Amino acid sequence: MHVTSALSADASPEAPDRLHAEISDVIDIYRLLYPSQHLHFLFYEGDDPVWGKPRIIEGELTLTPEHLRPEYLGRLECPGTDETAAVVTILISVPRAPLPNEIKQQDPDWVPFKGLRALFGLCPICYEEIRYKVEMARKRRMKQRHSHVSLPLGKGSRLLPQPQEPASDKRPAILIGAHWLEIGGAEKLALDSVKWAVEAGLRVFVVAGVASLQRLATKLPDSSDVTFIRLDRYLPRDRWPRYVENLVLAENIRLIHIHHCHALYDTLPQIRAKAPWVKVIDSTHIIEHNDGGYPRISLVWSNYVDIHHVISRRLIDYHRDNAGRLSKVVLGRMLEHRNRDVSLPPIAMQTGQKTLDVCFIGRLYYQKRPIVLVEILRALVAWAQKADVELRGTIVGEGPFQSAMTRLMQHYGLGDMFTMQPADCDIPAILDGSDILLLPSNNEGLALVCYEAIEHGCIPISTDIGAQGEIVPADLLLPLAPRAAVRASVDIVDRLWRDKDFLARQKDALHRAWSELAAEPTARDVLTAHYRAATETSPKQ
Amino acid sequence: MTELTNTTAVIVTYNRSAKLMKVLDALERQSVPLEMILVVDNASTDDTRTLVEARAMEMPNIRYLRLPKNIGGAGGFHEGIKEAYAQGARYIWVSDDDAYPEPDAIGKLLAASAEFEQRHRWRPSFACSRVEWTDGSLCEMNTPRPVWDWPRFLRPEKAWALVDSCSFVSVLIPRWAVKEHGLPISDYFIWFDDAEYTRRLSRSYPGIFCPESRVIHDTPDNRGVNFGLITHKSLWKFKYGARNETSFRRREQGLAGVLIFAHGVYRQMKQGGVSWKLRWQIFGAILRGLVFRPKIEHV
Repeated sequence: MHVTSALSADASPEAPDRLHAEISDVIDIYRLLYPSQHLHFLFYEGDDPVWGKPRIIEGELTLTPEHLRPEYLGRLECPGTDETAAVVTILISVPRAPLPNEIKQQDPDWVPFKGLRALFGLCPICYEEIRYKVEMARKRRMKQRHSHVSLPLGKGSRLLPQPQEPASDKRPAILIGAHWLEIGGAEKLALDSVKWAVEAGLRVFVVAGVASLQRLATKLPDSSDVTFIRLDRYLPRDRWPRYVENLVLAENIRLIHIHHCHALYDTLPQIRAKAPWVKVIDSTHIIEHNDGGYPRISLVWSNYVDIHHVISRRLIDYHRDNAGRLSKVVLGRMLEHRNRDVSLPPIAMQTGQKTLDVCFIGRLYYQKRPIVLVEILRALVAWAQKADVELRGTIVGEGPFQSAMTRLMQHYGLGDMFTMQPADCDIPAILDGSDILLLPSNNEGLALVCYEAIEHGCIPISTDIGAQGEIVPADLLLPLAPRAAVRASVDIVDRLWRDKDFLARQKDALHRAWSELAAEPTARDVLTAHYRAATETSPKQ
Repeated sequence: MTELTNTTAVIVTYNRSAKLMKVLDALERQSVPLEMILVVDNASTDDTRTLVEARAMEMPNIRYLRLPKNIGGAGGFHEGIKEAYAQGARYIWVSDDDAYPEPDAIGKLLAASAEFEQRHRWRPSFACSRVEWTDGSLCEMNTPRPVWDWPRFLRPEKAWALVDSCSFVSVLIPRWAVKEHGLPISDYFIWFDDAEYTRRLSRSYPGIFCPESRVIHDTPDNRGVNFGLITHKSLWKFKYGARNETSFRRREQGLAGVLIFAHGVYRQMKQGGVSWKLRWQIFGAILRGLVFRPKIEHV
């Protein structure tokens, strides 16, 4: 491609590399979107580390002083296929490099609501209780605002020409769309999917629906078959459908796999009309918000989706109950093959033991109820003192609640008993050394860490939410209400510690639940079959 | 790190035309080109206007902003930074009309800012020079205040200390910091406007002290800011200082901060043997500072 440059920046010595790399990404995206047009770029220096604020004008742009504002970096023109090619003007900011604190933590530190700060200072659990009650009241009041009805898909008449697959000499490819490449369950599956697709022999294109620093992009396989396209940063949402259509046709994409990627759903009408041979797989994890969250969106787009991959039976029920859909919903647990052959170690905890190690592993966001966790730890410390048990613990995780948790633990005098560890610490070792995993939560699919806890002889105690009941026995589930969760945690730990039969029953139930889950097909089994099938399909030459 | 480095110098002046001309000489000799040299004239009554107009014929990057009345150094810097920002400066270099930068002073501040960001990924909210008095000693009144971990990135070859406060004598402020934190408080009139402003900027991240960038501050004598040095002649300035810092402490630290400040002022005045007549006037200024709550203007 011929590029005429009119960049006029006073660049510092190190700046050009980064700037040129970003500009090159932008040009690649827009060249694919507008393959024959004359592209006229105006670049700006962004003050946002994630979003390029793209603006597209399909035509010439008359420049005004606003276009030459202080952030103006320069222009680039990429000629079209001929001199009469239509002009497309793209105004775009190159995001600045992220700061160390932004890299470390995506969201600012959590602070209590302004009007309730004093209450939080006096009684954090009262604050949590009020927040919980307001949430529940809001849930009850809120009507189901979004539709659960699947969008109809018109198949068209055979009397009119049908889309034809273009010939391609490229190896089959898959487009995998993640919500974003940050820490999370859906994101882990998206990253695993990339790995499995490469192993199956597909070329992989990855996109993320939400603009962010995409911290886990470094975890993508280091392979020439994997390309991460920064649509999240440089392409407005309304242009995704046309871009994806062009990408599908240009790169021989046979499969689209959606992992909570909202923007990719919007591309499905374009795909169904213009590239109907592409198979669409949609993976969902967690029923959230009032009306379902991504599972609901998946259900709405169901006629455009070929396979609904779900990770829990609760999600199968969700599809059945809301759409009567059974045939194309497949269960694939987020367990590795290796887990099946694992002979589970005995669960370490014994009644009456003199030391008790507890742990928490999760992101320190409200979803995991970090303040409730501290209250549980405080209550357990009080219990341990009465029972003459030495209580110790580890909290693994990072997030906006970290500072508030640390302060609260210091305030309660828990700092010496519990250590905080970063998310990249040795989690198997921590689970090996722990008797109990505490997992209070506001919203959960099926927490992987509970599987792992059982594999390491650790007893998970979790809130009864989402599909947690599929892995955690009913006697080890906590209520959602904060105070009740604190009380129940102590009661459960006390009973496990005192009641030999109860402990034995829970150990059996945990092993049974784990074995039942492990016997079911894994996400890897389910998805790899489709990936392999895609490698065997090829367009007409 | 910003890829754009166009820099505007802001000089606030009042009735010191001869020294101002020497400052313009020094700016003309700078190793980096200055997009604009903005002379903010606080309604001088000497020949400042004539001399600057004549000088602008030789230096086309000079811009002259004459204020209708003297609104003090604080007001002058407020207006100057506001204008420089409006004109699109990516960096704003701020200084007094009696401080002469060495030829590479601004270039070294720019280079230090860019390199610091490149090396450490943090964006310093300002970069300030080493300010020397005419005899080469440290200029007492322009000593930056280090933060607790000031040597975090200090290396023998790059002796940049982290600071959270400095004076408006050779300080380089990036555009993003002005956008994020607003302008100096004009209502302070004089004293503590620079300390308040740079401390405000450093909420994002501290500034850096760059000893390799040097300026000569041509003040009549080399005295620090100490309430023990109050005389009848300088009382008016100290009253502004006391009022402004009290107002700042009230805003940032509450009444406890004000009490600590008042106690420090009392001790300094006692050690300096300041007469009770003057002391009471300073205490009066502190009381006025308790209810003085000027607005922070944003760009």
